[in-house]
Amino acid sequence: MTPPVKDPVIHSSLSRPLAVSALLLLLALAWSLYDETYSIRPWKSYQSRFAKLYSRFLDQASAGQSELERNLKASPDYRALDSALQQSERESLPAVAAIDRQINQQLAPQILALNEPFQEVRSRIAALTYQLETSRSESAKTDLRRQIDQLKAETRFAALSAQLQSLKDEKARLLQQRVELMRPADALRARRDRYLADRLPGASTATISALRTSLTNFDIRIRQIHVKDVDLVDRCESCHLGAREPVTLTKASMGGEAVFASHPNPELLKLHDPEKFGCTPCHGGNGVAVASVEKAHGANKFWLWPLHAKENIQAGCQQCHAREILTEMAPTLNQGREIYRARGCIACHRYESFDREADEISSVTQQLRSIDQQKSAWTREAALSEAQANDPRTSDEDARKLLAHINDLKLRASLLDAQVDTLDTRSRSLVREVKKTGPSLKEVRAKLRPEWLPVWLKDPRQWREGTKMPSFRLADPEIRAISAFLWQSALAASPPPQAAGDPARGREAFETRGCLACHSLGEGSARQGGNFAANLSRIGEKADYSYLVRWIHNPRQRSAPYCAFEKRDLTAEDYRRHNLPFLFDLDHSRCPNDGHELQVQQMTPMPSLRLSEPEARDIASYLMTRKHDNVAYPDAPYLTDPALKSQGLALVRNYGCANCHEIAGLEEEPRIGTELTREGSKPIDRLDFALLTAQANAEGWLTHKGFFDRKLQNPAIFDTGKEKSAQERLKMPDFHLSKPEIDSVSTFLLGSVDATVPPRYFNTRGQDIADGWWVVAKYNCMGCHQLHPGQSSLLQLLPQYQDADSRDRLPPTLIGEGARVNPAWLLRFLANPALSDTLTDRNGVRPYLRVRMPSFSLSAGEVQKLARFFAALASQAQPFVAAPLDPLTASELTLARQLFASEAAPCLKCHMTGDPKHDARATAPSFALAPDRLQPAWVRRWLLDPALLAPGTAMPSGLFRREGDRFVFAGPTPPAFASYPKDHADLLTRFIFKTR
Amino acid sequence: MKLYAVAAFALLTLISCSSDKPPAAATTELAPTGPALSPDEANGATLTGKVAFTGAKPPLSMIDMSANPACERAHKDAPLAAEDIVVNPNGTLKYVFVWVKSGLPANQRWAIPATPVVLDQSGCQYKPHMIGVMTGQNVELRNSDPTNHNIHPQPSLNPEWNDSQAPGGDPKFKTFARQEIMIPVKCNVHPWMRSFIGAVNHPFFAVTGDDGTFTIVGLPPGTYVIQTWHEKFGTVEQTVTVGAKEHKAVDFSYKG
Repeated sequence: MTPPVKDPVIHSSLSRPLAVSALLLLLALAWSLYDETYSIRPWKSYQSRFAKLYSRFLDQASAGQSELERNLKASPDYRALDSALQQSERESLPAVAAIDRQINQQLAPQILALNEPFQEVRSRIAALTYQLETSRSESAKTDLRRQIDQLKAETRFAALSAQLQSLKDEKARLLQQRVELMRPADALRARRDRYLADRLPGASTATISALRTSLTNFDIRIRQIHVKDVDLVDRCESCHLGAREPVTLTKASMGGEAVFASHPNPELLKLHDPEKFGCTPCHGGNGVAVASVEKAHGANKFWLWPLHAKENIQAGCQQCHAREILTEMAPTLNQGREIYRARGCIACHRYESFDREADEISSVTQQLRSIDQQKSAWTREAALSEAQANDPRTSDEDARKLLAHINDLKLRASLLDAQVDTLDTRSRSLVREVKKTGPSLKEVRAKLRPEWLPVWLKDPRQWREGTKMPSFRLADPEIRAISAFLWQSALAASPPPQAAGDPARGREAFETRGCLACHSLGEGSARQGGNFAANLSRIGEKADYSYLVRWIHNPRQRSAPYCAFEKRDLTAEDYRRHNLPFLFDLDHSRCPNDGHELQVQQMTPMPSLRLSEPEARDIASYLMTRKHDNVAYPDAPYLTDPALKSQGLALVRNYGCANCHEIAGLEEEPRIGTELTREGSKPIDRLDFALLTAQANAEGWLTHKGFFDRKLQNPAIFDTGKEKSAQERLKMPDFHLSKPEIDSVSTFLLGSVDATVPPRYFNTRGQDIADGWWVVAKYNCMGCHQLHPGQSSLLQLLPQYQDADSRDRLPPTLIGEGARVNPAWLLRFLANPALSDTLTDRNGVRPYLRVRMPSFSLSAGEVQKLARFFAALASQAQPFVAAPLDPLTASELTLARQLFASEAAPCLKCHMTGDPKHDARATAPSFALAPDRLQPAWVRRWLLDPALLAPGTAMPSGLFRREGDRFVFAGPTPPAFASYPKDHADLLTRFIFKTR
Repeated sequence: MKLYAVAAFALLTLISCSSDKPPAAATTELAPTGPALSPDEANGATLTGKVAFTGAKPPLSMIDMSANPACERAHKDAPLAAEDIVVNPNGTLKYVFVWVKSGLPANQRWAIPATPVVLDQSGCQYKPHMIGVMTGQNVELRNSDPTNHNIHPQPSLNPEWNDSQAPGGDPKFKTFARQEIMIPVKCNVHPWMRSFIGAVNHPFFAVTGDDGTFTIVGLPPGTYVIQTWHEKFGTVEQTVTVGAKEHKAVDFSYKG
């Protein structure tokens, strides 16, 4: 008997699995709820914390603020303003109330009553008119016209319309009257509120209470910026809730949570509205991610644009400001760019837009070549057309067309000729613009003591602190070979011997002529001066005196010109063959052999101070005294060993010496480094961490920043543990950068990325200004001049310019220069600061200053860039058109002359006039220069209050006082002025410009 | 937050306990409060002294005014000597600024004298060559010359200005808001003209005159650092303690 089959319905119970699954389901639900609220939406807890902290902050702020506000409101000034306001309101109240009554009780109800029937009739007329316009039959049209006229007549439409309009006019008139009545009270109220706002440092209690109200409706949700046209989504403000609040929130005031702090630079935010720019284009990070802080900040693997570290925060500016050397409000980035430019990174590592002269030369060459091709194509076409036109089988009609076509081609070719002329000039001027980071090594035999060379190469920084020359980790045999090559490849010529000068006079000249704006003297804490150029504390140990005299007299003078076409330095023999004297300068810059433009200048930014030869000798004699005592350099007989020369050449090539220095035979050496224009967005696996990869990964610096920071700190770091021959080793030398300098260069490199925003976001405004800063940086104009508010020149900070009198001996400020001077004059001045071809040993504008505006031998292109730069900085219209001045009448001329020369007017006590006896004591620029040099509008502003344009100037304020709508001289005026009704400042301005 | 506050308070208490002196920062940052006092001449102490000069008397440096006929005419009988170093016949030094550098209660306000200190331009010279003024007190600038002057103080803590003053013009009234020792004043039109203004935020200062002496009256009892300032020879300091109604002599000396 088989056991009875158990009934599954009765005997099996599913309650256990069900209970288990139910429990699991419940747990899953609980977990999902928890996950929903806390794990995958961490921003929710941020938001609730923010709401709590913010409302606490607002409570405290409102308490403090209202206390302050109460005190201010109790002040007599405020109370006076307030009672004046109430008084004024009381006075205008009856009239205003009458107007309000009339409007509200009479006009408004009448207008309302008339408006409805009027609107109705008007729409009926409009409907009939539409029918009339669209109907096709003439009879229907006539009928409709009749209907319209009838309707108008029935409703007396014209009268209705006129009545309504007159009521509305009356209302408008009364409202205007009301505004007029309230005007004094409104003005007083604005003054009272301004008084309060000016004295309350933070937000007013009104703002705070508005914020508190809005906080009561605070809802927890994702807060995102969506820039549609770029498809940018940034949800950063889901956690960074305080970033754009109208009150300043700090970490401390928000319970120590930095995440809720306000954006630290509201001004920057005003320029870059987050609604348009988002957050991540500037800051990096992954704007869409909200799942975790790590993901949102882009700190996860393979995300190419992680959030910039605090010290590199300005890397983001480079996205849109990539072609600039100076970006406002980005000092770290600017410093990084300047190091990249001036310390010679650019010499080995190409960087788009930094290599301006070389890039322009290749672009000019390219354009000239394509123009040449175009022209020869047209010449061929013209010849063919002519042949065809001359063919008897061609019809007369076609022949005429062909001849016309030939003429067109000739005209077009002639237009290209004009372009060729411009490009030729530009290419000649570009030869002048190219500078090298280091000095020419073609001259080492003329300028150096031989034994010094190997000592220098061993450790440049040991010999001269703060030098631009980096350390190359050279072994002694390498040093010997390189020294021998440089010595033997250098030019044999040396400058004529010079008589000794007076070191005491030389010292005085060195300290007052402005040398210290670029050079420094003294070591350690005694160091003073600029670091744009070399520290000269030990120059006497290495330099040749005669060469130094030549260098100081004219730093651009070469021993031989270089012909880029023949790729060699020319000799006297080259000139003799063409019966020419061995003469090469900016006026004699063509190669006698082939007519190509020669390099006739040293490729240094050092300008000529136009000093006399005796003064150059004095300064050189002083500098030769600057040396350490009892320094012995070992003999270096190997310098002349011919066997070492080829060995040295290989090393010089390997280390890329010619990237920074002019070296004979290596003028056209290619760059040895990699291009860095997009280094910040190079895939991380293409940065060679070598044997340190694992360590970097473990320690969390397998990032661009990790690579840049460490490489700059120790350029050989990624050779660690590698088996390499000397030639294979990493070549980058050590620049001995400080931590802030490394941060700045890293910032620059981190910002050097493929932009994440489209090109239309790139900053192209102020191109003239951006171009100008490059020239300013190249020649260190800011060593002597102030160019923008908040900046000091280097000279200004030197101890010898600190006392009250010496400040008058500083170079002028150039803030507002574009509005001060006539750009045509500025072009002339920059090309020749002596303003004379014969009297060159002087300042053209301020001959009374010891400090000298040097001649930079700027190219025409650079001079124009500077003139446009100053004009753009001062918001001047370009091109410049001088505003016409009313001519002086005969009586005005007499008046102006009397005032000018009167004892009450101090003009002639300081300003030069052109009379040598008078000018010997003058301390201000010549009136004779003014008509050409200055702009009348500026002169008038200068006369009225010079301290506004140049704080601290020797020119006094208060020479004029306001009298009605004109300015009159603030002192006794000659009697004839009693009947002169016009503006005195204007009269003097026109007098100053009378010679034009 | 509360915890931080407690910790900060504990730290502060610790710091203040570890030194005998009250925390300096806390007292100097306090804005002066309470009624403004004037020197109490009846009960306060009086400091007198003289500033001696030792060493070789430097030769007078004569001013060349030939560039400005109006100025030259004013001194056609006796050319003027610069006043940077004036050694009195009794071997003392004129134009030394003497002031109480420290020791006064920091939060005490002092009454600002209603009468202005006059700085006249006369004979193309500032008269006097040196003045002391309380912060907030008016300096009255006069031009008694028939020629134009400009007054150009070059302070570093107060705003700089440079005002023209026409001959016969109305006097100008100017104040200095911050204490500054000393403010050089020049006239750019007449570069030899030089004056010095000491702006002090209490009334205890003096300038030595023709006998090289100075007097400071009404000083409350206490210990003070007295500083002298001379434009060529720099500063000298001495510490003195005075009681109520005490007359104390403090002499200074500069070496040429």
